[in-house]
Amino acid sequence: MAKISELLANLEMDQLMEAVQNELDNGTDPLEILKEGEAGMIKVGELFSSGEYFVSDLMMSGEMFKEVGEMLEPHLAGKTNEVLAKVVLGTVEGDIHDIGKDLVYIMLKSGGFDVIDVGVDAKPEAFVTALKESGATILALSCLLTTCYDSILNTVKAVEAAGLRDQVKIVIGGGPTDESVVKYTGADAVGDDAQSAVRLCKEML
Amino acid sequence: MASKLYEERSQKIKDTVNFKNERVTTCFMGQAAPAAHMNVKMKDFAMNSDIMIKTTLDYINEIDAITSVDCLNIGVNGMRSDHSLPMAWLSKIKMPGRELPDDSLWQVVETNVLTPEDYDVIIEQGFETVFNRIFPTLVDMNEFQESIAYQQKNGQNNVELFINSDLPVVNSGFASPPFEVLCGGRSMSQFFMDCYKIPDKIEKAIEVMLPGSIQSMLSSINPLCGRGAWVGGWRGASALVSPKIWNRLVWPGMKAMGLALIETDNIATFHLDQCWDRDIERFLEIPEKKSIINTDGMTDLRKARKILGEHVAIMGDVPAPLLATGTTQEVKDYVTKLIDDIGPKGLFITAGCDAPANTKFENMVAMFQAANDWK
Ligand code: B12
Repeated sequence: MAKISELLANLEMDQLMEAVQNELDNGTDPLEILKEGEAGMIKVGELFSSGEYFVSDLMMSGEMFKEVGEMLEPHLAGKTNEVLAKVVLGTVEGDIHDIGKDLVYIMLKSGGFDVIDVGVDAKPEAFVTALKESGATILALSCLLTTCYDSILNTVKAVEAAGLRDQVKIVIGGGPTDESVVKYTGADAVGDDAQSAVRLCKEML
Repeated sequence: MASKLYEERSQKIKDTVNFKNERVTTCFMGQAAPAAHMNVKMKDFAMNSDIMIKTTLDYINEIDAITSVDCLNIGVNGMRSDHSLPMAWLSKIKMPGRELPDDSLWQVVETNVLTPEDYDVIIEQGFETVFNRIFPTLVDMNEFQESIAYQQKNGQNNVELFINSDLPVVNSGFASPPFEVLCGGRSMSQFFMDCYKIPDKIEKAIEVMLPGSIQSMLSSINPLCGRGAWVGGWRGASALVSPKIWNRLVWPGMKAMGLALIETDNIATFHLDQCWDRDIERFLEIPEKKSIINTDGMTDLRKARKILGEHVAIMGDVPAPLLATGTTQEVKDYVTKLIDDIGPKGLFITAGCDAPANTKFENMVAMFQAANDWK
């Protein structure tokens, strides 16, 4: 089984799918296979943080993880991994950069979170609606443009105005964000890569 | 007739690329930065060529009156971004006052307008076939024709406006290598997956596209206004793609385009967004003292200078967040330290990539002051 995490971490697409099929044929618990996939994703995240992997590798691993998930889906039949928490994620209004956001999505998802992605150029109301509908307790905002700091601010304000601020922690990230932006916008924390998104969200539980 | 100052500044550009400059060269870059300071609505600035040009010129002249602006990175010809960017990235552009609020910045709508089958069409029939099918879906062709007519009618006058303000330009051309065009057309995430799954096909498509890319790059240069062109490196950055993809699909195209510029006696400016540290030594493959790397604050310029020595000039790299939210002292410290560390020779000081729309005017001035005052 360790093979599955390794194949994923080495980005061996074809062999990985074959190995997953083999495990299924051998009657391995699909949840166990999924956990192996998650272990592979953690490894990929580490390789990325240490500079051995690059953004495209992270994206490729995400694609592979997704395909594994799709392959397992019919076999999971109701069995689900324990969900740590629900997270609403999106790129703030005025900003269309989605690569970083999508990576955060993948890492959170493979890290055991249920993620609701509201997309790019998302208005404050879109985040609030998603928070209300899902009951998520974490809001993750991606922002790559200095011209969009106010969109983060407006989103935080909208969460306050909706009376949700006490239940919802807000993490931000993306290129130009740092502690000063946390202060400016009234968010709770900032993370500098997709791996840190998982760490921060876990800390917030 | 160009003034003595204009001639001196033009010479300084050449000297800097050649590492013969005594003092650091200051260079303007900020496509959206002028609007707010000049109290012009983004809608008017972005949608009207004459307003864009006048506002930009007034803005630069205001800085130049305080501290010297030696040149512009790229010529300002008033071409709207919803007409220019679709050619580079095969994406539709949403504009302020049209799809967006009056004062917002334009947005790139990245969707996969290219299908995987299009790689075959490119290989078999050439890129034109695909481009001619897609381009009219990305821009309003009537407006585009008007835009071209505007350039034919006013291009020369507009160039002279800058010459009369003693402002020479480094690059009048702008080119997007095939990797970037395909990436924009497929959308970044789809395209990166394609690079893992069908690299042979992409390599072939790039080979087919490259001569056309080079040709249109060379024809975009207006020798009266900057004997040089950008070779864009946005989504092909080292930090974004794995070495395998970079070596095979990114660098060969960029290098060929750079060499074509140099062969025709133009300056090659590699416009590099994101971090290029991993592959920086590859720029040694470009003939020495003929090119510039134009970075955005994420590439380590100390390391670049160490590795590249006097081979490639550097144009950079005050980061966008610093210009938007920093203090003038922070900006000055950044610039001073950069020149202290890598020396004034072969160095253009400018905003990293592009000064953002919310650049504080005083920070723009501080950037140039620190460079001009450096001793
Ligand atoms: C690729 C790119 C594009 C692509 C986007 C493709 C896409 N599908 O996203 C295209 C070409 C379309 C594009 C368009 C534009 N871009 Co752009 N783009 C970039 C570029 C080169 C890379 C961005 C990227 O994908 N990085 C890789 C990802 C993985 O990094 P990341 O997003 O930071 O994410 C990581 C972490 O930050 C973190 N993270 C991200 N989100 C979150 C969230 C949370 C909660 C946490 C914890 C962590 C986290 O995890 C990720 C993985 O580690 C940057 C250059 C740069 N220096 O960053 C410019 C850059 C961001 N773009 C810029 C600009 C100005 C634009 C345009 C306005 C360009 C123009 N002149 O028209 C338009 C934007 C239109 C708009 N309204 O949004 C500027 C922004 C400057 C500024 N104002 O701040 C940059 C910095 C370039 C520059 N130096 O000038 N761009």
